[in-house]
Amino acid sequence: MAHEAGRRVNPRWYTRARWVVQILALAAYLAAFILARRGTGLPAAANVFLRLDPLAALAQALSGREFVAGMLLSLLVIGLTLGLGRAWCGWLCPLGTILDVFRPSRRRVRALAAAEPWRRVKILLVVLILASALLGGLSLMVLDPLTLLTRSLASSIWPALDRIVLALETGLYRVPLLAPLVGRADSFLRPAVFPTEPLPGRVALGFGVLLASIIGLNWLAERFWCRYMCPLGGLLALLSRVAFVKRTVAPGCNACGACTHVCPTATIRADRQFASDPAECTMCLECLPACPRQGAMFSAGTAIAPRMAYDPKRREVLAALGGGLAGAALLRSQTATPSASAHWVQPPGARENNLIGKCLRCGECTRTCPTGAIHPAISEAGLEGLWTPVLVPRLGYCDYSCTACGEICPVGAIPALALEQKRLTVIGVAYIDKDRCIAWADLRDCIVCEEMCPVAEKAILLERVEVTRHDGSTVSVQQPRVVRERCIGCGICEYKCPLSGEAAIRVWAPNIALPL
Amino acid sequence: MPAPMTRRAFLRLLGIGIGGAACMRIANTLPDPLASSPAPTLVPLPASVTPFLPAQAAPTQAPPTAVSYPDLVVARGPTPEHLVRQGLAALGGMPRFVHPGARVVIKPNICVAYHSYEYAATTNPWVVGELVRQCLAAGAAQVTVMDSPFGGSAEQAYAISGIEAQVQAAGGEMHLMRSFKYVATDLPQGRDLHALEIYDDVLNADVLINVPIAKHHSLARLTLGMKNLMGVIRDRPLMHQAIGQRLADLASRVRPALTIVDAVRMLMAHGPSGGSLADVRQADTLILSTDIVAADSYAATLFGLQPDDLPYLRAGRDMGLGQSDLGAMRIEELRVGA
Repeated sequence: MAHEAGRRVNPRWYTRARWVVQILALAAYLAAFILARRGTGLPAAANVFLRLDPLAALAQALSGREFVAGMLLSLLVIGLTLGLGRAWCGWLCPLGTILDVFRPSRRRVRALAAAEPWRRVKILLVVLILASALLGGLSLMVLDPLTLLTRSLASSIWPALDRIVLALETGLYRVPLLAPLVGRADSFLRPAVFPTEPLPGRVALGFGVLLASIIGLNWLAERFWCRYMCPLGGLLALLSRVAFVKRTVAPGCNACGACTHVCPTATIRADRQFASDPAECTMCLECLPACPRQGAMFSAGTAIAPRMAYDPKRREVLAALGGGLAGAALLRSQTATPSASAHWVQPPGARENNLIGKCLRCGECTRTCPTGAIHPAISEAGLEGLWTPVLVPRLGYCDYSCTACGEICPVGAIPALALEQKRLTVIGVAYIDKDRCIAWADLRDCIVCEEMCPVAEKAILLERVEVTRHDGSTVSVQQPRVVRERCIGCGICEYKCPLSGEAAIRVWAPNIALPL
Repeated sequence: MPAPMTRRAFLRLLGIGIGGAACMRIANTLPDPLASSPAPTLVPLPASVTPFLPAQAAPTQAPPTAVSYPDLVVARGPTPEHLVRQGLAALGGMPRFVHPGARVVIKPNICVAYHSYEYAATTNPWVVGELVRQCLAAGAAQVTVMDSPFGGSAEQAYAISGIEAQVQAAGGEMHLMRSFKYVATDLPQGRDLHALEIYDDVLNADVLINVPIAKHHSLARLTLGMKNLMGVIRDRPLMHQAIGQRLADLASRVRPALTIVDAVRMLMAHGPSGGSLADVRQADTLILSTDIVAADSYAATLFGLQPDDLPYLRAGRDMGLGQSDLGAMRIEELRVGA
């Protein structure tokens, strides 16, 4: 990008080109997210961004003891970084672009000089994540920017958008002349973009606030997340130290300081003669148009970037290494409370597949699930399994004809099962709460659970019994009973149970003590 | 002195408030099917009380003209399309019901996305396809086919049932039922229920054709024409509380011009979803009537039951929705070749 004399490109075009690439990459990411919905037939396209993530590839390979071929795509980002430094962060990362869109004006951000040492946090996070992965722990992958954004979209932004669109449609449909237009618009949106029934988001507010907080940190320091916290940024920062193209200061620099005001990661500093740290530079090129004298330039070279005062010390790295190993072991030994883990119902085949040691916590399965059954675990899977997928049958059931979650999972943590195999895979067991079931407590016929049961030989039997009522009269009631050998735990009985609040039939985690 | 709030700040605050409220609503989405009072803000769309019955085809009385049609046609034979054609011809032909330019809605039973039609959980695809063809031949402007499955997604159920392929081949359109299109509707003749949220396209169709499949059901005993109407309302669990009277209340408002019970393959047990061919009986029979109660009454006998064994048929007869006395009906039985 060094300029040739005589044919000088207006440097403003470099930043404009970057904006175009950023917006296109964000649009591609959103398109992939939309395509992740079941029925589009393009799960591979939907996973492109997660598979570009070298941190995810590395951590999952260490933890899962196997390399998923699709994750080889991450070599592209590694190559890009070795060539051009953290260009992923500045040009392609969808979260980075969102942070660039939602930022205060640069004049309003005070310099956070005191925070400089905190830049090492992201590097130490990489060490922590990879060390825990050695022991089969991927819990900290919740902090990967791509899993974080995908999960926020799937569990918060998308359900919220769905509600807003539905409210608009419901309102406009009742305006006489608009009704046909609303119907037509809706057929574009559903089921491709939103499901035909409203999506449940179990902790939509929580995930929304989390994403909003990361954006909000921009007001403390621009790209706060990318400077201090992002573990993927940390990994790319390590590689960037040997990047081929780096920013340098040309002899024309007159120390005016204009570049320091526009640098989003504030790595250009007057006290370093306006040089920057390639590990912190996102190659955004904002310094080019800001410089009045072509003093900033980007040039190729094989020099290794010097160490910085804020780089982690050796003992800190060793501490993170030990902390990661110890943390993984401690998290593994700290199980969920019995009452929470009793409802740890995992997507089909995931339990037998050691999901917790392979799952990236990306939330693609939440997005793809057509019935809104899969949600990020809160307490069910313990702290170790935070935000791994859990089936919440009261919010959605596992569709008897669906294998979408296994098809979408980018790392095979949820196995891709053939439909016939999935129909035989036990994910949980249903138990009836006779204290509340209409047939037992109210002596009335209901039978909804039996009616809904999808297995050919119904896993719920109805027994007609004569019961004596309080006044001595008798009444004939059909009482449901679960046939343990037939129940696969799909949860449609719990979902459809007409009681309000907690259902009178609930799916529990499979009982290991019983042969299934 | 504090600065006055700027427009931008106000809008931002408003956006945060609305976004937060939306999130709170989603966060609190445990289904509560019993809380089903119609939203007071919904303005019912204008619709006549009985939009589906052509004047000359009131189900409870003999046609006033000289031409007289049987109350019920029972067609038997190996080819479903032929049963539809011959059966309709015996009832006076599709033009009796579908006038040129009419918008027709066909409501088959596509209750789950689990199995192909052989398992008899969903209506025979060729019966539905032939009905679409007959409607279009009679000059219908639009024929849409819809149901709202309880198990699996509608788009998948349409495909797996085989109905989508036949409907599209015949020139009809599969419609995905959309949650904002249910409108609060009064049931003026209702005895137990007085209002329900009913699908708008069904209420406003010029002609509604009801095509259930004859199936076992643990509560209603059988799923037939009246039970099939449950697919056009939103709050289905509500019906279970008193299924006999409530189905009749629904049928008093949603009145198909034709009810055609598909007993080509019948599901004898483990309904409504089925899944085992051992539960399927091939009866190669189609029952056609303008009278939903009459059609269901005859279908009940195929299972060895009497009309009075089914609470919803008793309730329907008592409300004057149709007749259940098979002995008093004019029944035309056809044997249709392949």
